Formats: sequence, structure tokens, C-alpha cells
Amino acid sequence: MKTLLAWLLWLWMCLVIVGAFFYAPVVLQGFRTPGSSRIVFFHVPMAWSSFIGFIAAAVWSLLYLIRRNPRHDRAAAVAIEIGLLFGILATLTGAMWARIEWGAWWNWDPRQTSILAVILFYGAYLALRQSVEEPEKRARLAAAYALLGLAVTPFLFWVVPRITFSLHPDPVVNRSGKVDMDAANEQVLFASGFGFAALFFWMQNLQCRLEALAERRAALKE
Amino acid sequence: MSRDTSSWASEAAAVFVKEWRCEFRTRYALNTLALFAFTTLVVVSFSLGPMGVARAQGTAVLPVLLWIILLFSVAAGLPRAFVQEEETHTATALRLAATPSALFCGKLLYGLTLVLALEVFVTPAYLIMTSLEVTSPWLLAGVLAAGGYGLAAGSTLVAAIIAQARSKGALFSVLSFPVLLPLLVLTVELTRGAAAGDAAGVSLPVLLLYDASVTVAGLMLFPVVWNP
Amino acid sequence: MRRRNCGYSPGVTATLRFDDVRRRFGRLAVLNGVSGRVEPGGMLLVTGRNGSGKSTLLRCLSGLLAPDAGTIAYRENGADLDVAERRRRVGVVAPDLAFYEELTVQENLEFFARLRRTGPERGHAVLERLGLPLDRLAGALSSGMRQRLRWAWALLHSPRLLLLDEPFQNFDRAGEDGARALLAEHLQNGGLAVVASPLPLDFDHVSGHLELGV
Repeated sequence: MKTLLAWLLWLWMCLVIVGAFFYAPVVLQGFRTPGSSRIVFFHVPMAWSSFIGFIAAAVWSLLYLIRRNPRHDRAAAVAIEIGLLFGILATLTGAMWARIEWGAWWNWDPRQTSILAVILFYGAYLALRQSVEEPEKRARLAAAYALLGLAVTPFLFWVVPRITFSLHPDPVVNRSGKVDMDAANEQVLFASGFGFAALFFWMQNLQCRLEALAERRAALKE
Repeated sequence: MSRDTSSWASEAAAVFVKEWRCEFRTRYALNTLALFAFTTLVVVSFSLGPMGVARAQGTAVLPVLLWIILLFSVAAGLPRAFVQEEETHTATALRLAATPSALFCGKLLYGLTLVLALEVFVTPAYLIMTSLEVTSPWLLAGVLAAGGYGLAAGSTLVAAIIAQARSKGALFSVLSFPVLLPLLVLTVELTRGAAAGDAAGVSLPVLLLYDASVTVAGLMLFPVVWNP
Repeated sequence: MRRRNCGYSPGVTATLRFDDVRRRFGRLAVLNGVSGRVEPGGMLLVTGRNGSGKSTLLRCLSGLLAPDAGTIAYRENGADLDVAERRRRVGVVAPDLAFYEELTVQENLEFFARLRRTGPERGHAVLERLGLPLDRLAGALSSGMRQRLRWAWALLHSPRLLLLDEPFQNFDRAGEDGARALLAEHLQNGGLAVVASPLPLDFDHVSGHLELGV
């Protein structure tokens, strides 16, 4: 069953890639290099998946604190790791796009800043886990930190666009935030979003199972 | 015979008094904060004081540096509140005797008074040494109070977390930065607004909302962090 | 010599029961399914060589450590107390208990008394019996005097359950006699005690014996 779903996901992503390059019309007025805007079908879903990682980690952290089941702690940690991966990919693709479109890799555009802050948070979470030896304590402290992160990060997303917008009014920033596209583009974008979200959970599931097996093997060795 | 001579508030007050009593006898935190703040203050105002930067640029740059001074001073002096309990092993007695929420509030109040004392010392000195003009001093006072509270609250909870980990000093900076970043973005913008007279899209209530968020998170998460 | 009565709260009946308590640290299984029970007036003596898990067991019982498996049930007057309440109700003496070096003995006791929502009189009474001046800085105490302070701290809030890890460590003759008398009084008043000791302890009122590491 799981293998079937994995193959379906592969098929879906292939369709997304094909759709991004051939089905979706060249796109998004107002860009200097319209061809490059196809990156939106990958860059944006990657960012979405990164945030899914954050929320998933927070949910599993809360579950851990209530149930104290080590599986939930492992799920939270893996969610952060994969969220970090997608966050880095989103940043890289965003920087590439920014270079082509605005001429510079980094602009302190609100979205670039926000995703950077989230990546810093992920890194801090993983650094915390590295610094605590005892599994129970590590799980507890990491879960608390994840939930603290959830409590404060929304402020960043709310505040930064307001500040940067007023200092650097940039029509492109506003435009790419809104889903202001014609139907075909929207379809590909949401299909890609769904695909990347499924990809996230598939990777999450795999990694959790892998780590559980590694733990069992270590326990059997004694 | 045990009688209920005190309440939750009295517990928190006892923690607060104990912190300051110990602090006055060692002066560790006060010295660290003062030394750090003074050194950075001198360096900043020397390079960016009235002679160093033009007036218009000053309004853009100087508010940021004020908050950097405050942030790093707090990072230098505040974590000790929990780290020392673990290192001197007094945390065991505290875990057995104290109600976690009262303990958190007592430590938070201690941190808050430290930060406010730091601000009272640093801000006038900073304004004078850099000749930064402030259009709305009341807004500045509000930002310092609310921002200072956010710094104290966030730092106290993060300090409680890292006190139980290894490499506490480095880890505090790593963990507290993402948590305090939204606060600092807000306070810098508001300080800029207080100096220039235009708060550019953010307002004090959002800062207060952050403070409330961190406080609630602290009260709910501290018992989990503190006790197994 | 008039003996100050360290007013144990009469009328509160407590029982302790723990079943199949397990705890491991990394690969090392320190507690492998330990069980026991203590009735009012009873003292459970826990013995075993170094590293057999005596301190670990006591820390689990006091709520400082969460066991990996097993149950610990502490009841006062028939009502089950959860971990947080148990933590605050027990009296603990342990080698790693430390107090604030910058404060005097009296200030330490008053601080913890306020946290425990009680007065410091019990602590003062214990120190008067054991012998320790109240105005000495906690940082300036010798190891035997620290032990006296630990006993005073443990009895501050009239606990019904005493968890004593190497309770007579560092005591001189007088200190040990005084502490033994306090323990005997506590048990006579219906209190419970779990005492861990690496060496055989000659004590009258032992009601149960648990040997760890065997």
C-alpha cells in the first residue's frame, strides 16, 4: 500500500513538472524575465512545506508533552529537519529568482527575511537537541522550545512585511504574494503545493521509520 | 505545625527578594550588565556620535544600536538566574519546594527589574553621547518598558531551557535570537518612530501582544521545562 | 533539658507504594523493576553497593526523576497525590542538596519556608536540637554543619514521608544521635521513611528491607 502511494506521488510530481514547463502559460505579467517565473511552481510550495514542518513539529511537540510518547518527540525532530531542508531549498530558489528578477541574490525582502528567521529557528532547535544527552530531558526541552517558537514567530510574519513595505515599496513584492494568476497557473501551483506537502509527509514517515529501526537495532545489540 | 502563611504571590515575592539579596551580595549580574553596556556604549558613540554620522542617517542607524546594546547586555547577565541554580545544585532544593509558576514569575520580575535598571542607565547616556533627538519621548518610554519586558520574559524562559543543557553560554545566544527577533524588529521600528516622529506601520499594541504571548507561553511551558 | 517538640502534624495518615519501577540511563539499566511499600510508622531500608540505584530510586520516589516504567503511589489520608504534589510534600535529605551560599542559615530557612507556605520555626527547632548557629553564611559551613542544615530543611514543612539518602553522612557523634532521635520521633508519630545507605545501618525501627543490585 505504502509503495503504491509512493509511486503515485512520483507520478504526481512528474505531472507537476511537466505542467510547470508545458501546461502553464508564460506567466505573471510584470516580470522582466517571464520565463524565469516558472520557478514559482517550485519555490513557493517548498516554502509552504517548510512551514508545514514548523506546524507539524509544534503539534507533535504538544502531543509529546501530553502523552510523553517518544515517538511523538522523534516525529517532531524529523519534521524540523525536513522543514529545514525545504526551507533551505526555498531560500536558494528564492535567491536565484531574486538574482534574475531584481539583480541581487539577497534583498531583505520580507519573505526572504521571514524564511531566514524560520531557518534560524530550526537550526536553534536542532542545536538544542544536540546539547542534551538524556532522551527524556531532550524531548521535553525541545518540545517546549518548539512551542515557544510557534508562539512568537507569527509576529515576525505579521510585522516584517509592514515595515519593509513602507520603506521599500516594491510592486513585485506585493504582486507575488497574491494568488493573482489565471486558472492554469493556479492549478499547477496548487497541484505542486499538494505534491510538495505529500512529499514532506512521505519523507517524514520514512525518516521516522528509519530512526525507529535504528533504535531497535541498537537496543537488540545489548 | 504548618500553617498556610503565604500565598502564590508571596512565593513569587520570596523568589524575587532572594534573587536580589544574593545579587547584592555578589553583584555578579549588575557588574556584568554595567560593564558590557558601558563598553559598547562608548564604542558606539565614539564611532557614531555627533561627529561620526549625519543627522538623517543617525535616525536610521542609532535606534538599532541601542537595542543591540540592550540585547547583548541582557544575554551576558540574565541567563545566570537559572544557570547558577543548576551549577551550584540549589536547583534540587528549589524543585522540591517551589511552585513552578511562582518561581517563574519571581525570576521574571527579577530579570525585568534588571533590564529596566539597565535601560535607565543606558538610554539617557546613549541619547546624550550620540545626540539622537527624540520627537516623542513618551513613545520611547513605552517602547523601552514594553520591549524591556519582552526581553526579560523571553530571556528568562530560554535561560530555564539552556540551564539544563551543555554549553550554556553559546546555546543561550543561539536559542534566544530567533525568539527575540520579532521583538527586536518591533522595538527598533518603534524607537525609530519615537525618534523621527513617525512609527512607519507598527504600533505599541502589537508589542504588548508579543509580551502577552511570551508571558503565556512562559507560564505554560516553564513547568514542563523545570520538572521531569 | 526541655526538648522542643518539632510539632509533626498528627492525624494525617500516609502510605507509600511503588511497583516495578524501572529506570535506565542510556544503555545502563539502573533500576530493574523495584517494588516496595511503606505503612504509617514504617521505615524501608534500601541497601546495595555503590551504583546499585539507591539514589536513583529515592529520586524517583521524591519526584525529581521520572521512572521509565512502573508506578509510584503516595497517599495522604487515602487521597492519591500526583507527582507535583508529592514533590512538595516529601522531606528529602540527600548528599547533593545544596543551599544558597550567599545567604545565612536563617535566610535560607526563611526563604524555603515561604516557598513551602509555612513558618521557619520547625527548622529553627531542629537546628537548636542538632546544634547550628542561625547567622552563619551557608557558604561557610563545614560538611557536618551542611548536613544539619539539610535535616532542618527536610523537616521544615512537617512532611509525612522522609526520603533520606545517606542521612548520617558527615555527622559527628552528637549530630548522628540527634538525627536518629528525630527520625525515631517521626516514625513514632506515624510518619513514613525510606532510608538509603551503602553501609549496614543499625536502626531499631526498620519495617522493611530492600536490597538493590542483587
